Amino acid sequence: MATGDKLIQVRDLKKYYNRGSIKALDGITVDIDRGDVMVVIGPSGSGKSTFLRSLNLLEQPTGGSIFFDGVDITKPKFPDKDGKLVKVDIDHHRQKMGMVFQHFNLFPHMTIMDNMTLAPIQVKHMNKAEAEEKALTLLDRVGLKDRAGAYPIQLSGGQKQRIAIVRALMMEPEVMLFDEPTSALDPEMVGEVLEVMKELAQEGMTMVVVTHEMGFAREVGNRVLFMADGKLLEEGTPVDIFEHPKHPRLQDFLSKVL
Amino acid sequence: MGSFIQLKNFEALLPYANMFKEGLITTVLLAFFTVLLGFVLGLVLSVMRMSNIRPFLWLAHAFPGTFGFFERDKKSGLLRDSGFLYHLGRFNPLAFLATAYVEIIRSTPVLVQVMVIYFGVFSQLFELPSFKIFGFIAFNRFFPGVVALAMNSGAYLCEIIRSGLQSVEGGQTEAARSLGLSQLQNMRFIILPQAIKNILPAIANEFVTIIKESAITYTIGVQDIMAMVQAIKSASYIIMEPLLVATALYFCLCFPLSKLIAYIERRMSRGDRR
Repeated sequence: MATGDKLIQVRDLKKYYNRGSIKALDGITVDIDRGDVMVVIGPSGSGKSTFLRSLNLLEQPTGGSIFFDGVDITKPKFPDKDGKLVKVDIDHHRQKMGMVFQHFNLFPHMTIMDNMTLAPIQVKHMNKAEAEEKALTLLDRVGLKDRAGAYPIQLSGGQKQRIAIVRALMMEPEVMLFDEPTSALDPEMVGEVLEVMKELAQEGMTMVVVTHEMGFAREVGNRVLFMADGKLLEEGTPVDIFEHPKHPRLQDFLSKVL
Repeated sequence: MGSFIQLKNFEALLPYANMFKEGLITTVLLAFFTVLLGFVLGLVLSVMRMSNIRPFLWLAHAFPGTFGFFERDKKSGLLRDSGFLYHLGRFNPLAFLATAYVEIIRSTPVLVQVMVIYFGVFSQLFELPSFKIFGFIAFNRFFPGVVALAMNSGAYLCEIIRSGLQSVEGGQTEAARSLGLSQLQNMRFIILPQAIKNILPAIANEFVTIIKESAITYTIGVQDIMAMVQAIKSASYIIMEPLLVATALYFCLCFPLSKLIAYIERRMSRGDRR
């Protein structure tokens, strides 16, 4: 349920490689409201992952702007309320954007507990006991409380991804970015991860999800973006996109994946 | 001629036991300080090589089309990836210096480097005070030895450290940064612990190599194990047995060290196994 409260405003976002010969993002403009569950679909190479990774500047865009909470994070400095130029602290903004990766990217040299508490302790200066208590609560929610002392290698793919989600939640982000979270999973583990994401959506978390799971897009998403060749070709509710696709590229894409 | 190696010759070496002890201590200290200094140098060099400082980039952007080399593409309006100014813009002097240093060191014999440092730098340019550490290590020979060996091993360690840092998956940094960790925190908590684990065997190998290579410093008069062997040989006319003692001493230094590091390596790889 969108509240109309703009959390992220993307304006004419461009990402070029090789000085313009490859246009991964070719002028994307979109608003993400608080409470949105925005699902990004499209053929591979369409730029959907690049778009997602640009939102927290893991990819440095070539042009355009991204306003997060009203601050343009693509610029080195931005005027605050009094009009004074202050440095944009990207580390600070990234804390509020949790990210979940296709390949989990858990830290292999740390236990699950340390994976989860590292950032809260080091970045938010939470004390250790408090952070561990919070981690156990979150682990309990995803049914992995008994694995707190394990190392990532000891877990299945589905378990790793659930850990990656709660690791991001430890920082209490305002938005969660999912970059093909189920693409590297064995088919029988996809369900458990989607279930956690669905619960998160129902709790009102703002989410941007790049996925090939059309069932998830249809059922959980409230907005769907269709991207191809670095362009945003169609945007709408799941019903608009899946029942009444307008753009021929979208019709073609859906005929192949559905 | 009697048997080649004789017990009585070992007995004849007993009066020289103290010399072996001093040589051993010198070798250990030489290797220890070389490792410390070499590691710092290697770290600095690897950071220089991986840096992204391009002081002339503004020139390339400020004068597109200058010399007819660096032009805007008529179709896209973007700068082309070619031409003199483009390459000048990409030039990174720190990386260039570090790379040049590494290549020069790796392409010349360590014996030459030791001689250049001792006879060239410390005998001509700097006058070192001539005092003795512990009463038997001559500082004005020991110090140039450490510097020369460290300069040599720094070049090798640079490559080891660089490959170790680059061997950590990019996804690790992305995960760390997305959690709000700064570049420095990412380095300290995520990259270095994993990189050190990856490069430990190679570093251990380099440390053992330093102990063995330090023998070469007897040529500039450092009184290490090898120098003592030479001295004992000329004093006692016994040749083979002092060499065997030296062999045993070097083995007793290097073998346990490599075993110790193999043990630490196993301990650190806990996260890799089920």
